[in-house]
Amino acid sequence: MRLVWTIAGAELRLMLRSRLALVGVVTLLLLSAIAAVTSAVQMAETAQARAQAQIETDEQFKAQPNRHPHRMVHYGTYALRPVGPLAAFDPGVDSFTGTVVFLEGHRQNSATFGAARESSDLLRFGQLTPAFVLQTLAPLLLIFLGFAGVARERERGSLRALAAHGASARSILGGKAMALGVVALLALAPALVALGWAAVRQPHEGGIALVIALAYAGYLAAWVLGIVAVSGIARTSQGALIALIAAWALIVVLVPRAAAGIAGVADPLPSRVDTELAIAADLRRIGDSHNANDPHFAAFKTKLLKQYGVTRTEDLPFNYRGALAQEGERITSQLFKDYAARADVIRQRQSGWLGWAGVLSPALSVRDASMVGAATDLTTHTAFMNAAEAYRFDLVQRLNGLQATAVSGTDDAARSKDPLADQRTRISADFWKTMPEFEFNAPSASARMTAMVPSLLLLGLWIALAFGVLGWAARRLERHGA
Amino acid sequence: MNNVIREMWMLGRNRASLAALVLLAVFAAAGVAIGLANVARDSAMIERMLAGQPAEEQAVAGFVEDAGYGAYYGFQPVWDPPSDLAFAALGNRDIAPAILRVRSLSLEAQLYENESANPELSLAGRFDLVFITIYIAPLVLIALLHDVWSGEREAGRLFMLSSLPGARRRLWAVRIAVRIAGVLAALLIPFAVGAILAGTALPRMLAFGGLIMLACLFWSVVILLVARRGASSVVNAATLASIWFALTLVVPAAANLAINASVPVPDGAELARENREFVHGAWDRPREQTMDAFLALYPQHAAGSALPPTFHYKWYFAFQHLGDLHVAEQSQAYRDGIAGRAAYARAAGWLLPPAGIAQAMTALAGTDVTAQLEFQQRIRAYHTRLREYYYDYLFSERPFDVSILANVPRFDPADDGDAGAD
Amino acid sequence: MQVTDFTLAVENLVVDRGNRRIVDGLSLSLAPGEIYALLGGNGAGKSTTLFAILGFLPFSSGTLTVCGHDPRTKPDAVRASVAYLPENVALYDHLTARENVEYFLKVADCPRSRADIEQAFESVSLAATAWDQRAGRFSKGMRQKTAIALALLRQTPLLLLDEPTSGLDPAASADFHGLLEALSARGVSILMVTHDLLGAADTADRIGLIAGGRIADEWRAQESGPRFDLNILHDGFAGVK
Repeated sequence: MRLVWTIAGAELRLMLRSRLALVGVVTLLLLSAIAAVTSAVQMAETAQARAQAQIETDEQFKAQPNRHPHRMVHYGTYALRPVGPLAAFDPGVDSFTGTVVFLEGHRQNSATFGAARESSDLLRFGQLTPAFVLQTLAPLLLIFLGFAGVARERERGSLRALAAHGASARSILGGKAMALGVVALLALAPALVALGWAAVRQPHEGGIALVIALAYAGYLAAWVLGIVAVSGIARTSQGALIALIAAWALIVVLVPRAAAGIAGVADPLPSRVDTELAIAADLRRIGDSHNANDPHFAAFKTKLLKQYGVTRTEDLPFNYRGALAQEGERITSQLFKDYAARADVIRQRQSGWLGWAGVLSPALSVRDASMVGAATDLTTHTAFMNAAEAYRFDLVQRLNGLQATAVSGTDDAARSKDPLADQRTRISADFWKTMPEFEFNAPSASARMTAMVPSLLLLGLWIALAFGVLGWAARRLERHGA
Repeated sequence: MNNVIREMWMLGRNRASLAALVLLAVFAAAGVAIGLANVARDSAMIERMLAGQPAEEQAVAGFVEDAGYGAYYGFQPVWDPPSDLAFAALGNRDIAPAILRVRSLSLEAQLYENESANPELSLAGRFDLVFITIYIAPLVLIALLHDVWSGEREAGRLFMLSSLPGARRRLWAVRIAVRIAGVLAALLIPFAVGAILAGTALPRMLAFGGLIMLACLFWSVVILLVARRGASSVVNAATLASIWFALTLVVPAAANLAINASVPVPDGAELARENREFVHGAWDRPREQTMDAFLALYPQHAAGSALPPTFHYKWYFAFQHLGDLHVAEQSQAYRDGIAGRAAYARAAGWLLPPAGIAQAMTALAGTDVTAQLEFQQRIRAYHTRLREYYYDYLFSERPFDVSILANVPRFDPADDGDAGAD
Repeated sequence: MQVTDFTLAVENLVVDRGNRRIVDGLSLSLAPGEIYALLGGNGAGKSTTLFAILGFLPFSSGTLTVCGHDPRTKPDAVRASVAYLPENVALYDHLTARENVEYFLKVADCPRSRADIEQAFESVSLAATAWDQRAGRFSKGMRQKTAIALALLRQTPLLLLDEPTSGLDPAASADFHGLLEALSARGVSILMVTHDLLGAADTADRIGLIAGGRIADEWRAQESGPRFDLNILHDGFAGVK
């Protein structure tokens, strides 16, 4: 073990003296720091802006004058997706999804205004965030610093000298890995600080922040072991460098894109228009509120009349139009939910492809673990969309309820012909103040931790694999000599 | 020719080089295949929308009793068909919707809808020929050319090779050309097959092929300049990988950050809210105010503008349009912000040739931010035609007839958006 | 004899590398069929002279012609007349001996038939089993033989050899010198740079001792008796070292 430290120390001293290594480390640390700071500032601004917009939206809703409740159904409100607690570390899909949903009656709108559509299209590769630095850039730095670790000694013949002095292949490779591990820790530092800072400000996120940090540590550890193994196997340092850069390009650049490209084509999502048209067709089949003779609504009316023992809707103890609106909303909302659930299943399957591609690319696994942990993944966005839809349904039904109970049926029926009746259907603005506000909480830390398990297992597999390859490299080195 | 055959044979005998070229060709073919599949999916999506439209219109015609009602329910499809080069440069088509259904209501509340895409798939970026050309091909070129001289020197063959008559012309030039040609073939053959399948117009095909060649040429020059300096193969490889990594990853990401920071884009959500406030506020404003403002824009409708004491769609659509005008400035600023960022990005493209070439590719394919904004302008122009069509019926009080719904102006994707944009 | 009658004519050659003057007024000439051995210590300017002849390095002053061509102005004409063997002949390891020779011949635009190549292999006594073996497994002697076969096939009037016998065992060395004599008999001029005093004394027609970038001493082989006085050679060599 002392020998391992000696070799690690010698390697680190060599790196310290190498201008290339220093420039590489400093560049990475600089990028990492810029990423951490800008991402933190940007996300704090975004979080603030969205929270402020949500408050303003809620205030505007409550400040509406006396109105017919159905006007308020159309006036609607907005739900803004709050910025995830650790989004400054890993914004994940935040910019690729809309962030605002307009919630109104009868319609289900998409989330609009995402950063990606407002961005310059300058090589969409990745935003400069701490997560991107760790996933993409850090392995490359480790390659640059580590590819020659063993190969250089072989080329110079000093590997034989080390072996002649009784250094086992294991201790040589172990020492090199140790030195590169120190660099990896250094590379992790700014991102860890960013993560720690977020955790300090939100103590309940501390546990998950730690798991995320461990996931990245494991990811970089797999790289460190793999790099040293390749350096130990390759005949020349040039061969090691080319092989490692090729591996990096495959793992970090190629597989994630290819997997996404294939998933999108192999398991396509219906378009929004597809869904709109399908829902419209379903509605015509189930119950068409525009059609006076529609069997569903006829049956609904008969049932109500029977329940209250009256013969005319005018004699019901409430405004029939309000009840009708509620029934209509119930049907459409159910369809929205069904179709959204179907699309969610497809999206989950697509993301499942990416999960499996983690077998080919640990970068995908660590990205997934990181996004899930930071609550900036698809699941969180889906949860937001579902929460927004549930809130929309609740709000609209409350307003429809007000139409049924607070608006006289006679006035409601006459309002399009009688301006005075129209005036009377405008109910007190105080009602709007009683409506609940939209609130969305990201999935709990424990739920996210559970969701991280598959990716963490894959990462574990990669670490084990890297250890295996390193062991094989050591045996090979031992057998063939240097 | 003999020299070319000799170097091709030599390249063929090198298993690693051959494998790199074959892999590149496979990736390029996969990129083209995925691109074609995406384009086919987009086209099918547009087809389905257009095929579903008659049933929608028939259903609306079944219950509509006047033109205003018809306009209210009369959603009309608009779409941005994929160009004949979209398969090679998918660009922003995954995040900017290619289809939308609009009606004569306030457009600002309809224009920014998003497609139901899976954001995790967009996150990594597109797998298309642009990606292969800009990111992967340079790595293969680096692998093939970084040690073209240093490799021979390190192997001890350099002086013996250089001592042969005409080595510069017959050996090095040909060897380098054959390797570059191998990379070009791996990219251009899949592209040509894709272009033929997609029915790409020949001049556009040649232009795109030219951009692919330009990208390879740029990298070849960079690589040869580095390789010529006389450093060892390892140093060359490390230097070139660093250049690649700076030019394609780090600097663009940093430039993106800088561009987004220096060109603010107004908050879209605020624009939408402002539009809603104005539109819904109209219910509480004196109706004359709305009509006066509207008639100032459309004096030709003054004659038929008298309102009954109760609800009328004339007024309703008037305030919908005024709602658009109310946020026109903000909307313009929003658009200008995005266009400004794109302009900066284009400027950055001159300093970052790989990014510049990628932009030229998406611009040629009509899949860039500019194309996305132009599509929005075409939608605006069409929306104007659509609502003005209904104004004629609403303000003339002509008796309603279902043919009004059938004769509605239709969107033509080939229409130039600038002509009628407001 | 006219200058152009010499295969190689060097007169007052001066070559600078950076600020250092490596070759400083070197003169030597080789008639057809002549074998010239250039002896000298490390850094005496032997390899630099070879590189100047090949046109790899420009020279500052003096004249240098190969078959009448100046390497500065007509490098390809010079190289077409020269076959060069570096100290460590390196071949393409993944190609066979035959493929290597074919490849180099094609680069030199000097096509030869299969029979010619086999005949050349035979004349350098490269074992027939090695002809279609990958050069990666070759010993230094085998690589050298392959390269000489290449030089034979190119049929150039001048052969430049850089330390041809270093690392060869004595038997291989003796074979090699026999081969040089055969070439010389065919009229090929040979300039070899070497440390190997005994080998040089065995084959060379003239031996030049290079020191300080010029020929410090030169001996011509005797017609009868021992070709060179080894004692004198040895003293001269030790003197410049």
